[in-house]
Amino acid sequence: MAGVSFTWDGFWRGVRDGMPLGVSIFAYGLGFGLVAAQAGFGIGKAVATSAAIYSGSAQLAAVNLLQTGSATLWALFATILVINARYILFGAALQPWLGQVGAPKAYGSLLLLGDANWMFCMRAIAAGETDRAYLAGTGAPMLAGWLSGTAIGAGAVSFLPEPQALGFDLMLPAFAAAMTTAMVRRGTDLVPVAVGAAAALAIAGTLGPAAAIIGAGLAGGAVAALMHREPG
Amino acid sequence: MTDSFPILLLVMAAAAFFCRIAGFTLMRLVPVSPRVGAALRATPLAVMAGITTLALVQGGLAEGLALGAVVVLTRVIGSDVTAALLGVAVVALLRWAGL
Repeated sequence: MAGVSFTWDGFWRGVRDGMPLGVSIFAYGLGFGLVAAQAGFGIGKAVATSAAIYSGSAQLAAVNLLQTGSATLWALFATILVINARYILFGAALQPWLGQVGAPKAYGSLLLLGDANWMFCMRAIAAGETDRAYLAGTGAPMLAGWLSGTAIGAGAVSFLPEPQALGFDLMLPAFAAAMTTAMVRRGTDLVPVAVGAAAALAIAGTLGPAAAIIGAGLAGGAVAALMHREPG
Repeated sequence: MTDSFPILLLVMAAAAFFCRIAGFTLMRLVPVSPRVGAALRATPLAVMAGITTLALVQGGLAEGLALGAVVVLTRVIGSDVTAALLGVAVVALLRWAGL
């Protein structure tokens, strides 16, 4: 692998690219804050939850579970593990690139790993990004947006427009569709696209969306491994 | 539920943290052969196609039109970020129009 660096330059490049993500995550944060407030969380508890878990889908599931009143610690742990299992795949895909810097920098960056900035980072890596601080840079505006959105949402600002009316719930799929389109350069690139789409469709009906995303990644990776031919 | 909130928070944070570092840590022990590298490089496209497909299946006409517009706009404008943001504007507009 060519140059390996971890600089403020790369970090700020990531921050700049991550700004639109920060805005949309802010809107998601408002939504979570509202749900948390309805579940009896104050602003402090809601923000603490957002800081500790930093994953919208996992937090919503956790709040739902806590509301039932019969949640055990193990059930809570398992719920977050299952919903966030896709991050195991995301981290594995980042390792050949991110593993080139020291453990503190790598693990520190992984704390800021989210769905959208993983997509941004994998696209940047494919385009030749060598600065490993780029990942943390894209994550910083997302974390800021997530925490500030949670705080304002939990402040029960009920006159806010629904995030859905502004289309923010479609932000992640829209980025996914745009980046897929941009990253498909050869006909063979369509193979993981087709495999991922088919796997997600097949799995979502029975095991739900969380499993469908992991299944899509595993199936796409497996097919790429099978199709791989050693050069020469 | 008798456990205090800090303990709940700690348990939830531990699960989320484990997921963030487990794949990375595991791959440090696995030599990345060209074949494994090809698999890892293919995962973003497969995951993103999966996310898009689920949104299409769960969504209605507005979501389908917006995501279709995103694909076309990415090719036309040449900027995926701009195309995605325009797609969000398209779905907001279509929903406002009652679609």
